[in-house]
Amino acid sequence: MRQTPLYGEYAAHGGKAVDFHGWALPVQFTGIIQEHLHTRSKAGLFDCSHMGEFLLTGEAAIRGFDRMVFGDMISLKPGRCRYTGILNERAGIIDDCVGLKLSENELYVVTNAGPLEKVSAMILGACPGAVDLSDATAKLDVQGPLAREVLLSLGFDAIAPLAYWTGIRTRWRDAELLITRAGYTGELGYEIYMPNALAPELWRVLAAHPDVAPCGLGARDTLRTEMGYPLNGEDVTESITPLEAGMERFIAWDKDFIGKSILEEQRVRGCHSVLVAIRSASRQAPRHGFEVKHEGQVVGEVTSGTFGPSVGCGVGLARVPQAVAAPGTKLAAGPRDLVIEVAEMPVYTGGTCRRKF
Amino acid sequence: MNPSELKYTEDHEWVGCAGDLYVVGITDFAQHQLGDITFVELPKVGRVVKQHEETAAVESVKAAGDVYAPIAGTIAAVNETLETQPELVNQDPYGEGWFFRLGHVDAAQLSDLMDEAAYKDFLAKNPD
Repeated sequence: MRQTPLYGEYAAHGGKAVDFHGWALPVQFTGIIQEHLHTRSKAGLFDCSHMGEFLLTGEAAIRGFDRMVFGDMISLKPGRCRYTGILNERAGIIDDCVGLKLSENELYVVTNAGPLEKVSAMILGACPGAVDLSDATAKLDVQGPLAREVLLSLGFDAIAPLAYWTGIRTRWRDAELLITRAGYTGELGYEIYMPNALAPELWRVLAAHPDVAPCGLGARDTLRTEMGYPLNGEDVTESITPLEAGMERFIAWDKDFIGKSILEEQRVRGCHSVLVAIRSASRQAPRHGFEVKHEGQVVGEVTSGTFGPSVGCGVGLARVPQAVAAPGTKLAAGPRDLVIEVAEMPVYTGGTCRRKF
Repeated sequence: MNPSELKYTEDHEWVGCAGDLYVVGITDFAQHQLGDITFVELPKVGRVVKQHEETAAVESVKAAGDVYAPIAGTIAAVNETLETQPELVNQDPYGEGWFFRLGHVDAAQLSDLMDEAAYKDFLAKNPD
């Protein structure tokens, strides 16, 4: 298994590594629920160094990437981030990713660990001069209502003006790093990209802060599931299109991209199935792979499911036909017909991610 | 319950004698493996169970599993507190986190089970 530059830091906080897409990453430190609730109330620290990062410089590279994704990367303003995805010819989602326009001439792209090898080859092939920074880059997410105060107290003055979904290039202790105000938890938070060598030092400084708790993949999953954020490889795969995944608002219909004609047809014809948020009526959780039934008939499948510590019931995502996708629709999931219903997204509504300063 | 006085299964249940009844729960190892326990489904009082029959269910944030009856008997009582405080299984697996009590047991089946030393030995050989 591959290790991030922070592998040596986990044990000091009780973290035990497991295999996540070939990476040795911690599932939990003190406990998933405790870490989840700490992130919702104070600040959680997540090692996301397994993710992919690319720097595209120059118009040709940015145009090349723009053709690969359904979002508009050309009109994206410097300093802004945009959520998007790379599609195959059938409009299936190979990867969902984020672009940060560092300057008029530079686009920084963040991708998932699972399909990284394939995505790297695609980006390097389509974007002249693109650089794959994944192996050289560590990523730490600081997420929670106190994340901003924590970073300001540690000298990250540059983050003060950042609005949701913006980013900045800055320096800390003589190293250059990138910080975006984004995340995967629903809370106010920042994602910090830095050279590998700086990561252990920054981790220790952050982890020593009294309001910060190291968090593992387990809490990352419960936090994102309560928000209805899809996970690549589970909820979002090459067999689902962005329309089916509920990403229509991120599609730039006025530009060209791979898979667009399929999406246009689907837009007219309508989607057979869509991704919806679900919640159970009890503490019992729906699980990935559970069949979903409506009035006794199998109609779909649970793609993610867990107990939601902040909502006190089972939460998840499921692929179901349009006809049963309206919030409030009663469904059953799994071998014991767990009672679930389609929920408004997000299921957890107390998140602080959009807080204004 | 005192772990040294209990009997253990390879599925990580424990059973111990308490007066006329036998108390059943899951072991400290099992609760550690499961992590934060979020849901417990308990059997109905009066149900007759065979040895190794699926009797209760337990879920954590990351996993779900069944709890089997270590010995045959009749469900005499269940720990209803777990329905609202399943975390008691994590906090006190041999005490407040018990699952159910069995009456009319087949006590001879206790000899099929491991004592504490044998269970520790079993865990050493099966660390996952």
